[in-house]
Amino acid sequence: CSSYQKALKSEDVKVKYDLAESLYKEGKYPKANRLFEQILPKYAGKPQGERVVFMYADALYKDEDYYTAAYQFERFSTSYPNSQKSEEAAFYSAKSSYMLSPVFSIDQADTYSALNKLQGFINNYPQSEFLSEANEMVQKLTSKLEKKELEIAKNYSKTYYYKSSIKSIDNFLLDYPGSSYKEEALFVKLDASYKLAINSYEYLIKDRLLEAQEAYDDLLKYFPNTTFADQASKIQEDIKEELSKRS
Amino acid sequence: IAQVTEDEIIEKGKQYTLAEIEVTGLKTFNKQTVITATGLRVGQKMSFPSDEISDIIKKLIGYDLFSNVDVYAATEGDNLYLTFDLQELPALSDFKIVGIKDRKKEDIITDTELKKGKKVTESFIVNTRNFLINKYKDDGYSNAKVTVTTRVDSTEANAVKMLINIDKGARLKIKSIDIVGNEKLSDKKLRKAMKNTKQKAIYRFWKKSKYIPENFEEDLSSLLDKYKENGYRDARILSDSVISNDDNTLSIAIKVQEGDKYYFGDIEFVGNNVYSDATLKKVLGLKKGDTYNGVLLKKRIQDNTDPDADDITNLYQNSGYLFSNISPVEVSAKNDTIDFEIRIIEGKPAYFSHITVVGNDRTNDHVIYRELRTKPGELYQKSNVVRSVREISQLGFFDPESVDPQIKNANAAAGTVDVEYHVVEKGSSQVQLQGGYGGGGFIGTLGLSFNNFSIRNIFNKKAYRPLPMGDGQSLALRLQASRFYQTYSFSFAEPWLGGTEPKQLSVSLNHTKQYASSYSSTGYYTGNVDKSRRFLITGVSIGIAKRLKAPDDYFYFSQALSLQHYNLKNYSTSLFTFPNGHSNSLAYTVGLSRKSSGPSPIFPKTGSDFSLSAKFTLPYSLFDGVDYKALREERDELEASGDDIDRIGEIDQKRFEWLEFYKIKFSGNWYTSLPAKFVLKTGSEFGFLGSYNSSRGLVPFERFFVGGDGMANYTLDGRENVQLRGYPNQSLSSSDGSVIYNKFSLELRYPITLKPQASIYALTFIEGGAAFDSFREFNPFQLKRSAGFGLRIFMPAFGLLGIDFGHGFDSIDGTNQPNGWETHFVIGQQF
Repeated sequence: CSSYQKALKSEDVKVKYDLAESLYKEGKYPKANRLFEQILPKYAGKPQGERVVFMYADALYKDEDYYTAAYQFERFSTSYPNSQKSEEAAFYSAKSSYMLSPVFSIDQADTYSALNKLQGFINNYPQSEFLSEANEMVQKLTSKLEKKELEIAKNYSKTYYYKSSIKSIDNFLLDYPGSSYKEEALFVKLDASYKLAINSYEYLIKDRLLEAQEAYDDLLKYFPNTTFADQASKIQEDIKEELSKRS
Repeated sequence: IAQVTEDEIIEKGKQYTLAEIEVTGLKTFNKQTVITATGLRVGQKMSFPSDEISDIIKKLIGYDLFSNVDVYAATEGDNLYLTFDLQELPALSDFKIVGIKDRKKEDIITDTELKKGKKVTESFIVNTRNFLINKYKDDGYSNAKVTVTTRVDSTEANAVKMLINIDKGARLKIKSIDIVGNEKLSDKKLRKAMKNTKQKAIYRFWKKSKYIPENFEEDLSSLLDKYKENGYRDARILSDSVISNDDNTLSIAIKVQEGDKYYFGDIEFVGNNVYSDATLKKVLGLKKGDTYNGVLLKKRIQDNTDPDADDITNLYQNSGYLFSNISPVEVSAKNDTIDFEIRIIEGKPAYFSHITVVGNDRTNDHVIYRELRTKPGELYQKSNVVRSVREISQLGFFDPESVDPQIKNANAAAGTVDVEYHVVEKGSSQVQLQGGYGGGGFIGTLGLSFNNFSIRNIFNKKAYRPLPMGDGQSLALRLQASRFYQTYSFSFAEPWLGGTEPKQLSVSLNHTKQYASSYSSTGYYTGNVDKSRRFLITGVSIGIAKRLKAPDDYFYFSQALSLQHYNLKNYSTSLFTFPNGHSNSLAYTVGLSRKSSGPSPIFPKTGSDFSLSAKFTLPYSLFDGVDYKALREERDELEASGDDIDRIGEIDQKRFEWLEFYKIKFSGNWYTSLPAKFVLKTGSEFGFLGSYNSSRGLVPFERFFVGGDGMANYTLDGRENVQLRGYPNQSLSSSDGSVIYNKFSLELRYPITLKPQASIYALTFIEGGAAFDSFREFNPFQLKRSAGFGLRIFMPAFGLLGIDFGHGFDSIDGTNQPNGWETHFVIGQQF
């Protein structure tokens, strides 16, 4: 029977506390957490509680249990708003939420909640040493949401719903005016506009080709050296050729 | 409750150092606990007075532990001394309920959350009392009285005892409802219109004839509606009274004034551009001279009881006019005729703008979005929202009962509207691990089926949570083994090949090894396996199914190619007369199906599923140069003389080297919603196996086996088991299998629960079927009939489990003895 097992079964809170702390310092987080869970209620409302909650939250974070870590860090920063560690806890609570944000192609509820928490942190601690990291995370999450919208718009085009693709891109450009995906979005719009035009009834083709031409002009206006230059100019040539047939 | 005393000397907003925190008035709490709860610490800097103090007071009050919190402050130079004076709420040390039976007390204790140690607030006392009074009133105890009293418990610190005294009084039943003043409508009709207020009667033993004031009020307006439906639009209630009788009953008296009967006059439409007057009139379905019916008029314009009704509002809603507004206006009333103008403001047509899906924690966006019928930039149509809900439910990845489309940001000026679909993922993978006795030995099965697989992530370690999921592909593996056979199968399906179109690709592989039973030299079955005699089947098939656009997009066109190799070693039965031969089958299947049942695939409530398929092989006998007629004649002679069995085997090997057949199947199921959640499933099936060349004959494979639970245990020889309950498995076909069958069934289903954790429904059925060995014998009306009942439980992790008890009314052996009761277990069968 190891000393760890003894501590787990021990009635003495102090024994548990000491072992949990040393396990935590050694980096044995899962073991430490089992002890922390046991002693946490005993220290609630006591001065040592502050230290226990922080160590517990930090161990959870390092053990990659971000869901519980986010909750425990948040609990810490609301229970001990005047603690020296409260800024750090608020940051790690937000960062834990950031770690929970999933791949762009599924529900983004966790991304939105991480963005809220990070924004809350940035507002509360504008002078924080973690500020640049927080800003970087906000950037990454926003970019993920943008990618989600763009991929949905691309998929409309892939399934031949060109009009829906164009509408989605228009929504995207309004919703995320400064997006890093703007260039790709403009190209997707050009591509969808052209395909919509040539797959239309004859009497609609000309007008729609002109709209596609506008989409091309937009892309070149904002991104004169666009990485999509080759594909875009190929489309533009086709637009010209099709238009010349109908002039 | 809270107050801060401000000393004259305290300067506003000045920074102090908190020198001491004192807590007074505590009875049961620890001082340190309270200080920690305030979040303040000695030595910290704080301004005073400040919002911080009021926030702390709010927080302390918010715990529901203190009835009052006062904060006193004193200063000395830069030092601040705070005193929190608290009044603890008393805790409940004991309670007693009197006036009702003991076993009824339990419910009350749970409902009112009464328990020892609970803090007793004034509102808790009032809420408890009101809750109990309402509870008894709703049960018909109109005179119920409840008192809640508390008394200080001197044995414990800060505790009170509670006494709840309930005097239910008598339950008052309604003895009579007397209606006076009615000449045109009978008492009976009017009483019937009152849905929840009824006279006492012996047949009313399910629901008591209670008097509940709210229901009564509602029923009075139903009564007036009844008049309105019959043209009496001026009808009103002059008085209503409730009289208590001495025998604990109530009498209700209602006095009505009927007024005159009215008729519809001219009905004109104003403001309609999209639809002509004629179209609208047809939908409205009311014409001049009809009895005036305000309720029906409202219903024909907008039926609030049925969101899919054929009313004028939906006519507009389904063609993009989300912002349309339709209101009937009485323009004149001459004598008994009322002219109407139906004023229509069509508004701008609305187009979908943002279409979003939330709640898909596993399934990737593209899998869902491609199924939605609401696309950005397209005209708003309510019917498309409804159809999208069905399509999402049919995927099988989400709980069908909680798919919720929310219409958002309807902007009449811009003519746009957003839809956000809320979905809840459910388990879509199944593991089947079972063992049991059957066919004279132990059978073990391991089945894995993943219905929302992601094959592209199969090498992506991060995607294993616990499996790569979310791309809507299905992958199934099944291993089954007993002493007599082993079977392995694998299948994969991608519903949107290439991601551009709803074109499903499916691939499957299977391999079966079957051993014969051994017989003793005297011909008795020994129950052992004869490993020297075996039958191998190896098959592969590939299929494509495409969703069509016409006649409507519920249609699917499917094609499949399958290759099967049969290899026999020393295996002869009455069907397989070439014991060491082999046989191949290369077949092409083409099918047309229409599937509109829904919304949930587990418990469809509406729609129908049809499928018609034909499976062909090449007509080898046309070009392989073999004279089958001569072979057949030779075989018939040999069979008659019965000596040269080996030669028969040779001939049969030639006949079945490459199987030559065609097979036509039809099945149709209709689902009809009946009142009270019942659903009727009406089904019909037909199958026929034919040959191109009568001399070459019918193949011993691919046959139909009718009777019993219909579960396909192993694919021995392309056989198809057809369910017909009330008879033993496969008992309605000859031992070699039938070549033609038909079946009709009626099943009445009732959902017990349709929760995502488990869907359970009960069913009762009548069905009948017939199976024959040749087309000449076929008589579709010579049915074997049965009836029975059963239960189905669907749990995402286990699939479908069910039991049926069926009674066969006909005999299976040609006698007049009915087959009687049979019990069938259904495991994992597709609905």
